[in-house]
This record gives sequence, C-alpha cells and structure tokens, in this order.
Amino acid sequence: MKSKIISALIILFATLTANAQDVIELKMPKSNKIVIKLMFRNGSICDPKGKEGLTELTTSLITEGGTKELTHSQITDKIYPWSASYSASADKEVSIFTFEVPKVFLSQFYPIIKGLMLTPSFTQDDFDRVKSNQQNYVDQVIRASSDEEYSKKALEDFLFRGTNYQHLVSGTSQGLKTITLEDVKSHYKNFFSRSNITIGIAGDYTPDFLAKMKSDMNALSPVVPVIPAPAKAKMPDGINVEIVSKDNALGSAIFAGFPIDITRAKDDFAALMVANSWMGEHRKSYSRLYQKIREARSMNYGDYTYIEWYENGGGNMLPAPGVPRSSNYFSIWIRPVQTAKGLKGQYPELSDISIGHAHYAFRMVLREMDNLIQKGMTPESFELTRDFLRSYMKLYIQSPERQLGFLMDSHFYGRKDYIMEMDKLLAKLTVADVNTAIKKYWQTKNMDILIITDKTEAEPLAKSLRENAPSPMSYSNTLKSALSNDILEEDKVVEKYPMPVKSVKVVSSDETFRSTEATKDSKGVLKMEK
Amino acid sequence: MVIREIELLFYFRLLIQTNQHMKKIITFITAAFLLLSNAFAGNNTDEKILPYPIHQKKLANGANVVTVPYDSPGLAAFYIVIRAGSRDEIEPGHTGFAHFFEHMMFRGTEKYSKEKYSEVLKSTGASANANTSEDRTLYHMTGSADKLETMFEVESDRFQNLKYSQQDFKTEAGAVKGEYTKNSASPYNQLDEKISETAFKTHTYAHTTMGYFKDIVDMPNQYDYSIEFFKRFYRPEYATIIVVGDVTPERVEALSEKYFGKWQHGNYVSSIPQEPAQTETRYTHIQKSGFPPYLSLNYKGPAFDDKAMDMPALDVLSSILFSEKSELYKKLVLDEQKVRFIQGGAYDTRDPNLFSIGSSLVKAEDMQYVKDEITKTLEAAKTKKPDAQVLADTKSHLKYSFAMNIDNPTSIAESLSHYTWLTGDPESLNRLYALYDKVTVDDLVRVANKYFVGTALTVATISPATEVGVK
Repeated sequence: MKSKIISALIILFATLTANAQDVIELKMPKSNKIVIKLMFRNGSICDPKGKEGLTELTTSLITEGGTKELTHSQITDKIYPWSASYSASADKEVSIFTFEVPKVFLSQFYPIIKGLMLTPSFTQDDFDRVKSNQQNYVDQVIRASSDEEYSKKALEDFLFRGTNYQHLVSGTSQGLKTITLEDVKSHYKNFFSRSNITIGIAGDYTPDFLAKMKSDMNALSPVVPVIPAPAKAKMPDGINVEIVSKDNALGSAIFAGFPIDITRAKDDFAALMVANSWMGEHRKSYSRLYQKIREARSMNYGDYTYIEWYENGGGNMLPAPGVPRSSNYFSIWIRPVQTAKGLKGQYPELSDISIGHAHYAFRMVLREMDNLIQKGMTPESFELTRDFLRSYMKLYIQSPERQLGFLMDSHFYGRKDYIMEMDKLLAKLTVADVNTAIKKYWQTKNMDILIITDKTEAEPLAKSLRENAPSPMSYSNTLKSALSNDILEEDKVVEKYPMPVKSVKVVSSDETFRSTEATKDSKGVLKMEK
Repeated sequence: MVIREIELLFYFRLLIQTNQHMKKIITFITAAFLLLSNAFAGNNTDEKILPYPIHQKKLANGANVVTVPYDSPGLAAFYIVIRAGSRDEIEPGHTGFAHFFEHMMFRGTEKYSKEKYSEVLKSTGASANANTSEDRTLYHMTGSADKLETMFEVESDRFQNLKYSQQDFKTEAGAVKGEYTKNSASPYNQLDEKISETAFKTHTYAHTTMGYFKDIVDMPNQYDYSIEFFKRFYRPEYATIIVVGDVTPERVEALSEKYFGKWQHGNYVSSIPQEPAQTETRYTHIQKSGFPPYLSLNYKGPAFDDKAMDMPALDVLSSILFSEKSELYKKLVLDEQKVRFIQGGAYDTRDPNLFSIGSSLVKAEDMQYVKDEITKTLEAAKTKKPDAQVLADTKSHLKYSFAMNIDNPTSIAESLSHYTWLTGDPESLNRLYALYDKVTVDDLVRVANKYFVGTALTVATISPATEVGVK
C-alpha cells in the first residue's frame, strides 16, 4: 500500500513537470526523413487483473485501426506513395508509437498521426481482427515457432510469478479472451493521457511543427493514471528448474536468471557491463561461455549472458531501444543443445545414453560464473573488454531512429544520454571496480532455470537434475577423437561440478501462458505491493 | 548464420521468426525500407537512386573494390562478398557446405590463431559476423573508421591463408548442427526445405542453404572437401570488397592493393545443373496442429536481371497485388478476416527461382477458398491493366522506401552487397530502380501471363490435416 502512495506521488510529480511537456529533440539538419516517437509510461504492468494483454491490444488497435476521418484502409492508400510507416510497441513499463516519413511529406502525414493518437476509430471490426491475431500469438505462435524465444518468455513467467511482471506483454490466453472493445476504449482514456507522454522527434523539422504537435498532444485524455509499481522478482530460494515438455523438439532450449538490483540508472552499470561482455556478450565469439560451450565443444550455436532485457535476441545483433525497465534481472541464454533422442539417432555409439547435453552445459555455466566471481577479471581482459565496449556501444545508435530511441530510454532512467554517459563511466573504470561489482551483483546459488525440451528428454533430465547426478559429455567418436586432452580432462571436472537443485518441475507446453491466476499465490500478490 | 535475401525485420507479431521464404516475400513489400528523397525529389529519372557515387576499382587479380563515402563521422562498414553459396553445392552429400565453410573462416591462420583473431576483432570494437545464402557468402564488420587498416589486415590474412586443423574442423560442425537445431523449431523452416526440394529437381536450389540434417551430421568427415572448397571459391575473382562511411576511395583502394593485391587468382567455375521446365502442379504438406494454418503458392520466376523488364515488372506487380494496399489484402485480411496476413514477391537470385505468395489463415477449412481467391487475382492480372495512378503510386512507394532506409553505413553496404552478389556490379542497384521507372501496365500484364502458370506451380501447406487438401 505504501508503494502505491509513493507511486501516486511520483505520478503527481511527473504530471506537474509534464505540464511543460516532456520533449526529446534530435536536430538533424541533413536528414531527409522525420522520426517521431511518442512514449507513454504505461506498459503491460498496467493490464488489469484478468485482462492481461490489454495495453498491447490498445496500442495495436490504435495503429491497426483508423481515425475519425479515415478508415485503416484509407490511411494505407494515402501513405503508400510516400512510404511513410508507423508502428506501436508495448513492453512491461512503456508503450511507444513510432512514425517515420520522408521530410517532404511530413505536413501531409501529420494529420494522420494526430488522428490516430487523438481520435482513433476503435471499430468492432478492427478490434476483432487485432485481438484474434494477438490471441493467436499467445495460444499458438509463441509455443511453436522458436523454442529459444519461448524459453526466454517462459523464464520471465517463472521469475516474476505472481507479480505484474509475470505475464507476456501480449497477455495470457484467458486474459485476452475476456477483453472487450469497451475495455480498450477505457484503457486508452485512462492510460494514454497527456500526463504520461514523452514526445521524441528527430530530423530536419521546424520549431513551428514541434510547437503544433506539442499543443495537439495536450488534447490527449486529462486523466492522471495510477500506474502500479513495477514488481521486483523475488530472489529464488536455491536453484529451481522448470522443464517444459513438448512434442518433437530437436534440442533443449535454456534460459536462466535471477533478479539484480541495478539498471542503467546506476553508475555501477558500466562495471557490470564489462563483466557481462567478457562472460557472454550477445552474439560475440570472444566471450567466455561461447568459447567454452560452442567453440571448444561444439555443443550448440551460442551462449550469452545479459544484465537487462534484450529484445528479440534471435534476430537483433545490436540491442534495440524502446524496452526500458526498472525491474531487472541477470540472465543466461544457452541456445538449444542436443537431446538424448537426437544424439542416439545420429551416432550408434551413443545408443546407451539417457540424457542429452543440457545438464552438462549448465554445470559449465555455473563453474565459469563461480570462477569469475572468485577470481575476478584480469587487468588485460578488463582493458580489452572495456575498450571494445567504448567503441561498440556507438554502433547502437547508427540510425536516427535508434539514436532517438536510446535518448528516450535515457530519459526513462533519469539520464540525458546513456551512450555518452556510459562512455565516460567506462573511461574512468578500473578492474577493481568491475570485480567489486561482480561480487556485489552476481552469485550462483539462487536462480530459476527454464528448459524447453522434447517429451522424451524431460523426465530423465529432471531426474538427473534432482539427483545432482554426474552428467558426462556424450561426444560422437569422431568428435571425441578430435578433442584435446585438456578439454577431456576439464570435462571430468565439469561433469561432477556441484549443481544443487532445490526443485524441478516438468510441465506440458499446453500449460504455459494460460493465465496468471493458476500460478498466483497470496505471497506473490503481497510482494507486488511491497 | 544462414539467411536468404536481405535480413529482415520482424513482420508483425504473427511470426516470431519468419522463414526464409517469408523473409523474401516480406522483403519486397515492407522491407523495401531502403533511399533518399533528393534523388528524385524533382522527378528527374536520370538521377540515380543512390544519391552517393559508387567508386569501383578492379585489382589486377580480379578482386573488385567498391567505396562509397558517406557522412558517418568515425564510422565505416567493411563488407566482403564471396559470390559462392549453396547454389555451388553441386556434389551429392555436401548440402549446407558453403554455410559450414563460412563458420570455418573463423578458425584462424598461422599468423592469427582463432584466439588471436578473436582478440584483434574485439580490439576493433566492431560489430562483425558473416552469413550465407544461395548465391553468396557475406563477411561484414562495422566499426571505427580509424581501425580500417586492422580490419583489412586480419580479413586479408584469413581469406588468403586460412589454416585449420582436422580437430577444429570436426568441432565446428557441431555448431552448425546447433544452428539447424535452433531453426528446426519453426514449421516455416521445415516447409522451406520441402518447397525447395519439390519445386526443383535438378538445380541446386532444390536444397536450402542450411542443407539436409544428414549431410550436416556427416560434415566432420569432409575435411578434404573443405580444403577443395576453399581453393575453389576463396579467390579474388569471386570477391568484392565494399567499404561505406567515413573513408575515401584513395585510402580504401590503397589498403585493398596492399592487403589483397597478392591474392592468387583461381580457375574454378561451378557448373550448375539447370532446372528443366516444370510441367505439372506439385504439392507438398506439413501436418501440424497447434500452429496457424499456412498456404504457400510458388510459381517459377525469372533470374535477377538489371537489364530485362521481367523482374522489375514482377516487383511492381507483387506490390500492387499483395501489399497492404492491395484489393486482395483488404478483402481477405480486413473485410472477411479469413487471413492473418498475405504477402507475395519474387526471389532475387542469380538463376531462376520462385515467385512466392504466402498466407497465414485463421481457419484451415478456408484453405481452398483462399487459394481460389489468390488464383482469381493472378488470373485477373493477365487481362486487367492496373490503373495508371496505382502504377505511379507503387513506383513512388518503392523509391521512397529505399530512401528511408539508407540512413547509416551498414544499410548502404547491405544494399550494395545485395546487387553485387546478384550481378557482380553494385551499379545494378541504380539500374534496377531506373527500370522501375520504365515499367508500363503492359509489362505487368505480360509478366502475369508469362509466370503465373498452373503447370509451373508448387503448392505448399501447413495444417492439422494429414495431406494438402487443396486443389
């Protein structure tokens, strides 16, 4: 309850300052296009209980519907020759509308932007279509397209169980079914209001244009929304594993994590960024886990770690803007490793194995994490990694759209320019700072692990994990003959590396993302309000 | 990494990862996010679509060097295109090898072991990777322009002096298997494999760039073939070096000469078996419940060509027939709500490939209806000339889409690479867009008659049914 009062006060304060309107400007006199981003502080944590998915459905209906003047179809026709585009994205704590248009068509495009934001048509037909697509995503697509993305989202459901951060931004199966058009209309009025908008603009626009847009956006709903406090994940008690069993999975997809009390807002973030980059920089061959699991042992396609949410890791090579979060967790991504069924089918010499490579892979992760926590980074590794990041981060903002997006996210974290400020922090960082941050934020005793795997692998793997049984690597004869003695010797240590698992639960794929009610308990609900 | 065509952004939420066919389809309709308005602000069709000059210099050994200076202070994108891909996998049992070889390129040389290579790469602070598709393998890095010489040095070393042990070779094969494993979760990837092998019987487009799983499992035993593969294709006559950003042609050309000038010319030319004309409608199907029903119609299309009118006309026509502005989209997606999305377009490849139309359905029982509606649209295109304004709007859309996307060195380099691997000449980009301007309504009718032919069609479906279930 206390937090509600505090958050109400924060909102009130934000409202007072927002009267002057929050605007992020990026003047680019040479640019031939205009990018506009409208960010609202109202992500899926604002979904009412039992109507999970409402925020995203509202944003989608705004961009996939029409305006008071034009139907969706008429808008498509009108903007087609200009190749103007727009889209909406919702996340846990923000919803963002992005518009891009060649500069020469800005004045013709603007009435459509204004119409979509201020007078969306919200027709029953558009609602039915958009809701059906969202329901289809939650019911079918997420479960049956990429086991990697599935495991990532299911981990979040596991880590944040019983809180407003648990459910998919797209909602739950049950929640979506109950949402009506009236719900969308009222959610729009209550949460997409002038008091919680930040306006972002990049390109060669005129001051008059910006002034008009600012003035128009003041016609958004005057409601001051009550934004719930973003839930913090509860630190898991020991290592807990959830295995999702599905038909015909060729591999075991793994995501694991534990909450960390740090975001981009804290200066320590720079130190943790260096440690994370060394251990598991996204899609980079020079990080530790990648070298141990993929490069030396050929177990999978890649292995990475994260100190904040990384949108669409399967597709993005560089982090995307637009997903700022105040509730954070450390995560480990082990891309699909082989199952026993798969290995047996590939190599006759492995016909007697009972589990695939998941148990071994995770032991390797724990050992590498423990080593880093105990020994810290070397000065040489630190220098190389820090210098890498100082250059690499500048690639995050190659295009105007990304540059504007990162600036708006900076604002969310109370920073002016995250990329430039991190560069300064990185410049003055020492190896001691990094090693202190590692000890402060990382540990291996408490975490949740989520594994999506074939139904033939689920129970044997669960048994192996429960019993903390040795998990020797099962190489084909050809590969084994190619591996150095050092690797085989290291395997003997890793296969027995202590991995005390407190609980293992096997669930069917059909049971995931149904609703939040089934898994909610009073403890979890209480936690949400702390 | 395996990709087909320009790496694409997500389509909307219906798909987590689009399959390779969808990627191409979507490429054309939505991802033509590519150009700059000043190139045609005055409707001057003599101006090139890329508003920056493309500097080219061919080295004596045949390697081509392409430089496009671009205002991105301190940044440069450095790309190397090798015009060999899964199309060149002509020997049986070696499907997926071009892609596997792309992985081997990261396994070191005598001068730079794989560890040293990684360390140097890391020191450049670049975003670097590689990917393979049917016709080419692409190596890329974007980073500080002041690290350009280091990039040239390490890249030239591995392209000329790659040396890996049998051990490293056997080990890397597992990573490729891991890539197949992660991709296999998507039914679209599974369907992609089936479409390729159904539509093509002799050409190497019959297998995907990823290759067959059995060939991937056997890769550790193909060391000798890998040496042969390197000797064949990692040669200057197959290579184009592309640099875009805060650079000058003089500097890029001097660095190219210094680091790639001694690269030895080869003499291998792939003999790709040509596909005979298809004479009957073919079908393939995946039975899958718990997944949105999917219908894919694949007609045999033309090869990419920057001089003939067929491909530009098909590109324009696919936008008119299947984009969100199209009548069919509005009928099936917006009005009737029987379809979640529909997309259509032709593949850009060196040899004739497919014109694909893909559609995700709300209900499997509408499969025949949706197929009939698509077929009716294609038949109508054979006689009905589109409105002149629609044609003009589509041309405008294509150009502005391009203009909107080239706002950073990486996307310009991607675009130049695309046309380089298709024809060997990045100027094909400018030529293609010049041809778009010349497309007439008669061209649209002509290509519809030429390519939308039932005997050249492969129908592919995903549904809970045991077989195709559409005629």
